[in-house]
Amino acid sequence: MPITSLDSVNVGDTLGPQEIYLSKDQVRNYARTCGMEAPRFMDDEGARAEGLPGMIAPGNMSLGLLSRLVTDWIGMSGARLARLGTTYRQPVQPDHTLTVSGFVTHIEPGEKRVEIDVWIENEDAERLVIGTASVLFP
Amino acid sequence: MAVEYDPALIGRVFEVTDPVSVTAESIGKFCTAIGETNPLYTDAAAAKRGPYGGIVAPPSFAVTFRNGRHFFTHVPRFGRAGFDAGKDVEFRAPIRPGDKITLSSHVKEIYEKTGRSGSMVFVVVRSTVQNQNGEAVAHIDHRFMNRP
Repeated sequence: MPITSLDSVNVGDTLGPQEIYLSKDQVRNYARTCGMEAPRFMDDEGARAEGLPGMIAPGNMSLGLLSRLVTDWIGMSGARLARLGTTYRQPVQPDHTLTVSGFVTHIEPGEKRVEIDVWIENEDAERLVIGTASVLFP
Repeated sequence: MAVEYDPALIGRVFEVTDPVSVTAESIGKFCTAIGETNPLYTDAAAAKRGPYGGIVAPPSFAVTFRNGRHFFTHVPRFGRAGFDAGKDVEFRAPIRPGDKITLSSHVKEIYEKTGRSGSMVFVVVRSTVQNQNGEAVAHIDHRFMNRP
């Protein structure tokens, strides 16, 4: 559910979870759209030639999914995503269902700032990408 | 063991890219690629009533501008080839159709860390994403991890 105002936000509020089945075509399309046609983002054969077990998604795509989680939550409330930090812990592989989630860890009322932990999990509940986001309210 | 490098590297801008024009079409293609449905980024009429007075790019569009071809020759390496460990992005202002975007990059910081898997050297490169008005719309701190 998108939020409406800072007053409606509480520590512990959850973002998502958004379940996303990430297909190889989606990853290829993202990579091509963003000019990142490295073999590891194109197919398994290309990835193996680069010494990887199989095709992976660009880190920027994971960052984009986490950004989308936060901006979906912001909705039309007028708040904005001011900062997003990501750590790539394990490669994100296509042909898997990802779960993108977050929760509010801190509210700084004076600055009208909300701090959020965000992450991307695979089907085995392994956190492949973790991050933190700051949202500023008007 | 202290990591050794030339301190003159820190803060020196090593690259400024040629401007890239942002269009409604390039924003639209990006939205499709990342599965974006937020009307602020996808619906001109709704976006007009929103806080930006028109369509803007989703925040993560800021990381899609390509570094120059020689970018990686300027990123210091320690031992085996570095890999992308993550990014810290500060979004300062929206990117809009009609913007002309350049990136300027410098090494911000080099530090060593010891984890479960041993010693790692992190190189942080900051790219400032700037529009045609000289406004920094985003700062992107890339963290590259090296195994010495």
